[in-house]
Amino acid sequence: MDPIRSVYENDSDMADLVRSFVAEAPNRAQLLDDLLSGGELDELQRLAHQLKGAGGGYGFTLVTDVAARLEDALKEGAAESVIKERTSTLCEVLRAVRAPEGG
Amino acid sequence: MNPEAPNPNRVLVVDDSEFIHELVRARLREEGLQVEHQLTGEAGLRHAIDVQPDMILLDIELPDLNGFEVCRQLKERAETRTIPVIFLTGQSDTAAKVRGLDLGAVDYVIKPFDDVELRARVRAALRTKRLQDLLQQQSFLDGLTGLWNRGYLDHRLEGELNIARRYERRLSLLLGDIDHFKRVNDSFGHLFGDYVIQRIAEALSTHARRSDIACRYGGEEFALLLPSAGIDEAALVAERLRIAVEASPFHLRGTQLQVTISFGVASTEGLDPVTNESLIARADRALYNAKEAGRNCVHICVPDQPGAICSFTDFQSQLSD
Repeated sequence: MDPIRSVYENDSDMADLVRSFVAEAPNRAQLLDDLLSGGELDELQRLAHQLKGAGGGYGFTLVTDVAARLEDALKEGAAESVIKERTSTLCEVLRAVRAPEGG
Repeated sequence: MNPEAPNPNRVLVVDDSEFIHELVRARLREEGLQVEHQLTGEAGLRHAIDVQPDMILLDIELPDLNGFEVCRQLKERAETRTIPVIFLTGQSDTAAKVRGLDLGAVDYVIKPFDDVELRARVRAALRTKRLQDLLQQQSFLDGLTGLWNRGYLDHRLEGELNIARRYERRLSLLLGDIDHFKRVNDSFGHLFGDYVIQRIAEALSTHARRSDIACRYGGEEFALLLPSAGIDEAALVAERLRIAVEASPFHLRGTQLQVTISFGVASTEGLDPVTNESLIARADRALYNAKEAGRNCVHICVPDQPGAICSFTDFQSQLSD
């Protein structure tokens, strides 16, 4: 996946926050993977819900959209294959977010 | 409620995601607000009760108590009831919005939020809160004396009792009633009666500590609420007040008029259940006894002897025994 940039990366109020979000994103991706393989679907749904709420605020609308799709699938009790696919999409997106250097 | 202090603009964010805490803090920076945060419903509720922020941004999905329940409890408690709550949540369905607003929230903002919109909504909520505080302050003041009125006593007592219970602190209440006030009114007229009430209100304010709450409880009745004070301290305050009133006669058309006041004193020590009603009833019984005993005296509900009421003199000698 191509690198994803925050729409706020040039906003001086937000640059530091965007960097900390980006730094933390791979850990969240790992956590999503772990929760899925551990079958902890409630926690997975909570985390998807949190990422949905936060992503757009940090200028990563795609995080919000993809996380919302995972949350919906979990809420509706969708098939395992769907949940798996949407979790891995969210993980990919989280691993693709980037921030400008510096700070 | 602290109407004298300039608005400190404290905002509490209750959200289980630190990403949101940081984001809200950054987005509200230019509003000059003090932003505090908590990660769980329980902690948020406790924080709100302890520091009484000017507004609360509340998430719905929290790990323990959900946001609806937090809102319900905030609106139930006297000390947090008027704090505006804005739901800041990822739940965008109409049912959740309606439920949140019906629980008493002033607004509902969906995450991810637009920062310009959030700031405008926060400003609007704080504006309303300021007017509401002003209005409430007006409605809680007694016009004749400038003391707090009975409505405020009821409101404040509930909050102080919660604090006393939580921190195992004592709380005492004085009820005072001007002796033979009807005679004063009948002999010298209502205007003079009003003047007497004002002067006694001044004495009450002068003798109260900064933290005490002085109220005009009814026509010629006064109340003084003493947070953190035990029965012995409260009894002393009452006796000092009684003496101060006795020692300041009124002068009218060349006549000297001695006005006196009787007090009933009670505290939360040994009180069960600890409620507004039970504490007021205790002080009221003591006041009744003081009147029966001949007026111009202080009677005290003795905490460790249920139902026992004694005079100030007896109470002092018991203490020194």
